[in-house]
Amino acid sequence: MLLNRDDWYDISRDLDWTLSYVDEEVAFPQCWTGKRAIPDEAWQAWDEPFRVSYRDYVRVQREKESGVKAVGDAMLRAGVYQKLDPAHVAAAHLHMGTTCMVEYMAVTMQSRFCRFAPTPRWRNLGVFGMLDETRHTQLDLRFSHDLLRFDPRFDWAQKAFHTNEWGVLAVKNFFDDIMLSSDCVEAALATSLTVEHGFTNIQFVALAADAMAAGDVNWSNLLSSIQTDEARHAQQGFPTLQVLMEHDPQRAQQAIDVAFWRSTRLFQTLTGPAMDYYTPLDQRKMSFKEFMLEWVVNHHERILADYGLSKPWYWDKFLHSLENGHHAMHLGLWFWRPTLFWKPNAGVSKAEREWLNEKYPTWEENWGGYWDQIIANINAGRMDLTLPETLPALCNVTQLPLGSAMSRHDLEPAVSVYEGRTYQFDSDISKWCFDLDPARYAGHMNVVDRFIAGQIQPMSLAGGLEWMGLTPDVMGDDAYGYRWAAEYAPAMAD
Amino acid sequence: MSTEQGAAKPRTRKLRTWTAFGELGRRPTEYEVLTHGMNHTLRPTPLELGPEVLGNRWLREHRDAISLRVPDWDAFRDPDAVTYGSYVAMQDDQETYVEGLLERFDREDHDAGLSEEALQRLALCVTPTRYLAHAQQMLSAYLQQLAPGSYLATCATFQTADQLRRVQLVAYRTTQLQRTHPSRAFATGERAVWEQHPLWQPMREAAEHALITYDWDQAFVATQLVFKPLADMLLLQQSALELSTAGCTLDALIADNLWRDSERSQRWTTVLLRMLVEAGPENREVLQRYLTSWVPRGQAMVEAGSQLLAASTGRAQTQIAEAVRAGWRSLVEPAGLSVDPV
Ligand SMILES: [Fe+2]
Ligand SMILES: [Fe+2]
Repeated sequence: MLLNRDDWYDISRDLDWTLSYVDEEVAFPQCWTGKRAIPDEAWQAWDEPFRVSYRDYVRVQREKESGVKAVGDAMLRAGVYQKLDPAHVAAAHLHMGTTCMVEYMAVTMQSRFCRFAPTPRWRNLGVFGMLDETRHTQLDLRFSHDLLRFDPRFDWAQKAFHTNEWGVLAVKNFFDDIMLSSDCVEAALATSLTVEHGFTNIQFVALAADAMAAGDVNWSNLLSSIQTDEARHAQQGFPTLQVLMEHDPQRAQQAIDVAFWRSTRLFQTLTGPAMDYYTPLDQRKMSFKEFMLEWVVNHHERILADYGLSKPWYWDKFLHSLENGHHAMHLGLWFWRPTLFWKPNAGVSKAEREWLNEKYPTWEENWGGYWDQIIANINAGRMDLTLPETLPALCNVTQLPLGSAMSRHDLEPAVSVYEGRTYQFDSDISKWCFDLDPARYAGHMNVVDRFIAGQIQPMSLAGGLEWMGLTPDVMGDDAYGYRWAAEYAPAMAD
Repeated sequence: MSTEQGAAKPRTRKLRTWTAFGELGRRPTEYEVLTHGMNHTLRPTPLELGPEVLGNRWLREHRDAISLRVPDWDAFRDPDAVTYGSYVAMQDDQETYVEGLLERFDREDHDAGLSEEALQRLALCVTPTRYLAHAQQMLSAYLQQLAPGSYLATCATFQTADQLRRVQLVAYRTTQLQRTHPSRAFATGERAVWEQHPLWQPMREAAEHALITYDWDQAFVATQLVFKPLADMLLLQQSALELSTAGCTLDALIADNLWRDSERSQRWTTVLLRMLVEAGPENREVLQRYLTSWVPRGQAMVEAGSQLLAASTGRAQTQIAEAVRAGWRSLVEPAGLSVDPV
């Protein structure tokens, strides 16, 4: 008789055996499995949140591939890219440069699950994860390669993670940690559950909507297609959380709270500016905060409640950061624009500013003054004053500038001393992450640490830019060549 | 005035492909564009973390301290140039073929007509292979995660997926046999065969030792030059012939089809071997040293595996063993390596 998937599935995951020629502890070392004190039997309860057969996988994915390729080819022929708004295009550069390699890193994280996860059920699901992430990598690469002839910034899809560009280093630091240096349990809680399940919606659903509105059908379609895979394999975190809730809930709480904060900071950098500043005003769907509240915050609260976890201790501070952090990051990114490989849009024309104030009632009070000064300098022809001369001090956990996590009033220093070295943080939440597990962060030198240690020569902004790999053809500048500032210029009496 | 606009616009390079290709002297293929230079950890401190964190220690010890020396690991190319798109298309075709087999043999009531000898053979040589394939799956995944370049890693990714394909096909067949022959130990007896049957033990022993071989170059030798090719030559290639003789036509055809995946694995392995020995004679010595240490386990696999397959109706055990040894030699000898016992 012919069978349905569920008829044979249990046998396909009944794969454990008792090792007898080698020591099980050596073949499945604690450092990668992350089992710690959780008993072996507990993993029998690890149940796949979704079932896939290889047969169905290759059929469905083949169809998806040809769908995405058809749209991509059609859009390329139609010359859609050349007609896009330059501010929107910056969002695509930023995304490809900072995400493509993370997709590739995710292949390796999934591969770790395939080899070291504490149950064969999970080891099998990891295979589809490896394939999915290979797909995402190659989709991003193909998309970017097709557009290289229009803009060398797309070279950064392949190149970014081989450079020392500071924003890229921040992204790399986070994912090298939670994808490539964490045991399976930690990676499942931090990456699958928090980043992939919790946060990627904002990158892949919100940006897809904005891209569609901007007429970028190809990119929008690519993001949506990737999200169909993410939504599936991101569920791998749940059965692991279930096991932890039975045996080590404290560890789950801590891992998720750390990952949630670090993800927040990352998406404030990558997605916040793209949604609230780069997407042209008439094409914006939701503000970053609105999207975060609806898709990430509600959702995270529900998961915490469903599994019996508490809200993180820093919840109120997190909500405060949600009002401010990405505005601070945006201001910093724009000001340090020569250190970027994309062209940020200032996004503070009068109309845009009105929108910002409507969405963020404290925006003007916090950020308006800084922008007024920048605008005055632009209109006075003093471009030199709108450009940086030094590098900003950076957090030793998030790698992001000090002062970029909260409002302009929250500047109390957060510092820890560990084994004789002083570490600085962008917030007391980041300090809390550090203090929980100093060895995880302590040996690392951030860009400014390296600068001070003389590893970046010459010790000037120009030396820093060279070290970061920023060539003149990709170096960031204002997306609209400062034309937006003209409406603020004092009327010329004639 | 007319030149003003041109002067204001910085002259931008028109890139044709990734700058990472340097002077390639030709257009890169789509496969190269989608695979090139994607491992960002090939630097003195691999991960952007403190040098002593787990990930950095592991990569330093098990990848960066290996004895093989190659100027540029990303000079390697998969001879099949498999991309994600070509992989799912190719394997969808293969799965459609197998699906057709399953339907055809189901219509013919194939399983009900299996002889006693055929059923015994399936229970001994086919259904226990889900454990074997799972070991291969784990080992392939390890080759991916420690690979010193993305071209190699990507070959290992698809190989890992091939192994899951095999696990699921074996599970499918096991369930069919269990339902048609409920009084037998299909689906329940395989673990005991894998763990205890004397003729399976050299196979399992090699698998377990390969699992604790963490240095990437030694893991490559253990998995790609010994454990996987020998297990596949025995339990797919040679097994298909014996199954066919025993009247297990469906399983013979499935094994033949799975053998195609194994041949693809051997093709990229062969190309990598060639690249390694061309990179320097010391690489051949390193490979030979590792291989020599694995030869006894490989020989034991061939001895026991060929006994497992040999049946009164089929070829003699020595014939099967010789065929596998010939296959093994043809895998490694072009690279100047030998699998003869010292
Ligand atoms: Fe992905
Ligand atoms: Fe993912």
